[in-house]
Amino acid sequence: MDINKIKKGFNDFWYGKPHSAEEGGRRLGEILEDKTGLYKHREWRGVKDTMYYFWNIWCYNYLHMVIDIMKYGGLVPFAKGVWRYRWVGQTYLPVMHWFDRGLQGMRGEALKGSAWHYRGMVNASIVQFMYMFVADTKLNKGKKNYWHDHTIAHNETLWGGIFYPWSDQYRNVAIEMIPYFVTCHVNSHTVLNYIDAIQSIGLPGDPCPMCQAEAGIFLLDDVPDYANFWLSDNEACDASVSTSIIQDWFWDKPLYAMTQPMRFDDPIAKKYCMKEIEGAWKFIEEQTGAPFNYELLCKRLNQQNELQRFEWEKWDVAANTSSYPINGVAQALYRIYQSQYGDLPIWHEVDAKVRKIMEKCVSKKINTFPKTRHRVIAWSCAPLYYSNWCTWAYNTWGLNVIINMDSLMFDMEIRTDEYEHTLEDIATYHMWAPMRRMAVGGMHHIFELWDYKEKFNCDMVAMYDQLQCKGMQGVHGLFEDEFRKRNVKAFWLPHALPDSRTVSRAEIRRGINDFMSTVMQEEPLDPSLLDFDDSMTW
Amino acid sequence: MNKVCRFFLKLVGILVLVFGVLFAIFFFDLDGKLLFNVVEPFLKNHYDNMEREDKTKTPYDISKYPARD
Repeated sequence: MDINKIKKGFNDFWYGKPHSAEEGGRRLGEILEDKTGLYKHREWRGVKDTMYYFWNIWCYNYLHMVIDIMKYGGLVPFAKGVWRYRWVGQTYLPVMHWFDRGLQGMRGEALKGSAWHYRGMVNASIVQFMYMFVADTKLNKGKKNYWHDHTIAHNETLWGGIFYPWSDQYRNVAIEMIPYFVTCHVNSHTVLNYIDAIQSIGLPGDPCPMCQAEAGIFLLDDVPDYANFWLSDNEACDASVSTSIIQDWFWDKPLYAMTQPMRFDDPIAKKYCMKEIEGAWKFIEEQTGAPFNYELLCKRLNQQNELQRFEWEKWDVAANTSSYPINGVAQALYRIYQSQYGDLPIWHEVDAKVRKIMEKCVSKKINTFPKTRHRVIAWSCAPLYYSNWCTWAYNTWGLNVIINMDSLMFDMEIRTDEYEHTLEDIATYHMWAPMRRMAVGGMHHIFELWDYKEKFNCDMVAMYDQLQCKGMQGVHGLFEDEFRKRNVKAFWLPHALPDSRTVSRAEIRRGINDFMSTVMQEEPLDPSLLDFDDSMTW
Repeated sequence: MNKVCRFFLKLVGILVLVFGVLFAIFFFDLDGKLLFNVVEPFLKNHYDNMEREDKTKTPYDISKYPARD
């Protein structure tokens, strides 16, 4: 009997297999089923982390999903919603697999911190779709109920803070955030129906697939009728405006189009933006009959500012230590979700949990991602169907995505000392919206990359290449030039936002593999993850 | 053995059994396999065959809600 083998077997069982191939590694690619990406068996992370994952993540989240559904409307509206709407039935049932993909290979505090971020997003998603279902006339025999008259609908790129002044009486739910945006991350199959639907009535295939999908949901009559009126905006670009026109046609409700300037540094543009926001508030007052409440606005803004201050603390730890307990995908999704939807109780709960974990990591100097070879900043818009590519990249190559562009957009607090300051800051916040500030907001902002790369001590750039974004395609060559001039190690990551058919996940991995093996001349940490077929996966 | 002991032994036995079943579902990804192979195809078939309103028949009356200043 080989005592070393027994000892290694015991260590692998107790602590989990080591990460890298040289250490007799865990070979995570081998636990995946071919094509579907299902697990032959879920990962054994050692006794402690496996039990944590099983009990505190898998069981906890399944249980809390049921509790959340009961709390925000009950099982009946949920069951009706699942039966009526593809985007909820097909998408949100396999939500634990979304956790699995994002948390693959994570250990210890990084596993815990990242999982709490996922929990926050699940709660925020349930809140929104239950608010929709409770108010939906399609699920209530065509009748408008109390909540139908007390829910405000708006585009997902229109920041939820605009509605804070009415938040004691009215709910606001973004139209596309749950039916479109979050679905792409959880189950990338669903969105393809909506893209194909809008193309079937003659829309060419090359506009932004986000805008296509958001229009396709309306074309297929898959939007709950949960509000009497709605507000649209023109973010990020003119394709979004076209989407709003189709939405306006099919929804046929009173609409306020709250346009925002594309090039926002001009003070005159800011004044225009402030006027637009005040126009939106006046419209809401007219539609609801409820007055604008500045005290309530300030109260909610102060709560949101608290979230922002903690985010800055997180960035400080991420930038200056190796003890940041949140992985790339959890950081990116949680932050964009939180900053775009606005203040919710769950964000405060999650932040309190994450603070404890982060403080433990910093005080004990825990190296949360010990196999980091490169600190990566990810720039531009990420592939929604493969937002967990950074988890794969860490497991395979030791590429640790420290921060990303979408996390950094709303880098500000909003003043609440007087009305003019508040309005001015809200205008700035709104103009710094997703895909706006650093994507189409002008060269100065697009090139903020270089400052943030230094600030976060990153030595590599993952440059997203959204093939159907005409704005960012226009600056592709400029980035190439700058990378060479500045001698920055960078790789491109082509994708078509939600549409996994244009550039597959395997092609994305191949591009990174080629870069790491040929340009960087490095060996993979886990060779079993280099090439595998997950073409049918969620 | 008194009744209280028997009750607690039974309770522990049930908890161990529940834990074991849940852990087996978790570890062998039986939830994922069920959802991928049974639930999703069933629901997909349902959604594909649903009757849907033809939204392109909606009249687009741009003056229904007058433009604002």
